[in-house]
Amino acid sequence: MAYQLYRNTTLGNSLQESLDELIQTQQITPQLALQVLLQFDKAINTALANRVRNRVNFRGSLNTYRFCDNVWTFVLNDVEFREVTDLVKVDKVKIVPNCFCSLVGHTTECTLAVWPCLQMFLNSLTLISSDL
Amino acid sequence: KATSRNTFLLYRTVMEDVINEVRELFLDEGVDEQVLMELKTLWENKLMQSKAVEGFPTDEQKALQAQQQQAQQAQQTQSQTQPQQVLLPSAQQATPQQVIVQDPKIFQHMSAPGMSTAAALALPAGVAPIQQFITPQGQLLQLVRAANGAQYIIQPQQQMLQVLPQMQPGAVQAPLIQQVLTPLQGGLSQQTGVIIQPQQIVLTGNKVQQNTQAAAMAVQPEQGAAHVQPQPQPQAQAPQQQPQQTQASQQPPMVLQVDGAGDTSSEEEEEEDEYDEDEDEDKEKDGGEDGQVEEEPLNSGDDVSDEEDQELFDTENVVVCQYDKIHRSKNKWKFHLKDGIMNLNGRDYVFSKAIGDAEW
Repeated sequence: MAYQLYRNTTLGNSLQESLDELIQTQQITPQLALQVLLQFDKAINTALANRVRNRVNFRGSLNTYRFCDNVWTFVLNDVEFREVTDLVKVDKVKIVPNCFCSLVGHTTECTLAVWPCLQMFLNSLTLISSDL
Repeated sequence: KATSRNTFLLYRTVMEDVINEVRELFLDEGVDEQVLMELKTLWENKLMQSKAVEGFPTDEQKALQAQQQQAQQAQQTQSQTQPQQVLLPSAQQATPQQVIVQDPKIFQHMSAPGMSTAAALALPAGVAPIQQFITPQGQLLQLVRAANGAQYIIQPQQQMLQVLPQMQPGAVQAPLIQQVLTPLQGGLSQQTGVIIQPQQIVLTGNKVQQNTQAAAMAVQPEQGAAHVQPQPQPQAQAPQQQPQQTQASQQPPMVLQVDGAGDTSSEEEEEEDEYDEDEDEDKEKDGGEDGQVEEEPLNSGDDVSDEEDQELFDTENVVVCQYDKIHRSKNKWKFHLKDGIMNLNGRDYVFSKAIGDAEW
């Protein structure tokens, strides 16, 4: 099952919105829409893995990090993203790195995969306690 | 930029793939191929509207010309004319009155009410059409780019009868709004905010804010005019919109109208951030689940100021990705990310690998 995390991107959202409109006008069923989204998941995951070959570097200050519902979210400030010659600066960016346990509906099957998340969580606990 | 091009190509590929792969599913469910095409069109249009990616090349020239013709016809009224665009055959299109939404800088000197459609379409020197498309409401939009890199969207003011009555509040509007700000990423701290709505484009003159993007959000359509959210929702249909359109056209400020309502940019419009925020909220959701991402930072007890930064940016800069490794040593974090899609300052970027450092 491909990660659904890319649904909340411009490409994914625009697809979801389009599907919603077609559902509203009853041109397609919600089930069909879901099938389309699943196909999207596959396509985007494959494309990213196979068709993209660039590297980006970034640097900034870490504002917050949190781990809720098996999801990590990092908020960075004053970040510079650099790719070869291109530079993009933002004041604030949210990074949501997916981990295996984020597969929707399959958390019970991801015990092993949860480990990286736990690891990070433990690290963060250590960090907190060391600051106290 | 190479990056934009890559992103564009990637999206193209994914879209083609998805459409082709689901064709059979559609057939299995007895859904007409035309609906599939409509899905494709809707998808493309929304993507274009978001302006997160450049250049979905189609017959922009042709479209621009078509628009010019329309524009010239349509100066004043809100009457509807026969459909001019093939894209949405079932939609009737009101003769569009062209409105240019553009970079505030430019807008400032083009604020004269007299800006006619023709003038608008004439476009400042060096403007090149990029893309022309139709919104789900059947509105014609033309994306062009000026020599200075600023991008404009020309959009008819009139709302046309739409085929799709229901629009989710945040659906089309938010991306439009956010993306209009894109040209400003050059760091303009302009005041002029812009809101684009499916029905019309609203320009608010002096919406301050440091951040243009934020400004856009804050930009509020002047009540009569555009409303951003409230309007589309209640209405299912054009008829309702008509009156609004009328109002809109009469409203001087926001809309940069052809029909002569000078834009007085007296915007003190209501703050309609909602949709905007919705879009942002969505983006905040993480990857796996549709998330419940709480807004409370883990270390809320710290001295870190709460994120009012949201107001600074129209679009929330988000990176959705997978990770190879995330490492921390004392307060130095190192991120090894992969296969990510980023939306920064309104633009989409992709990466196969991203390495980052941050100090906490």
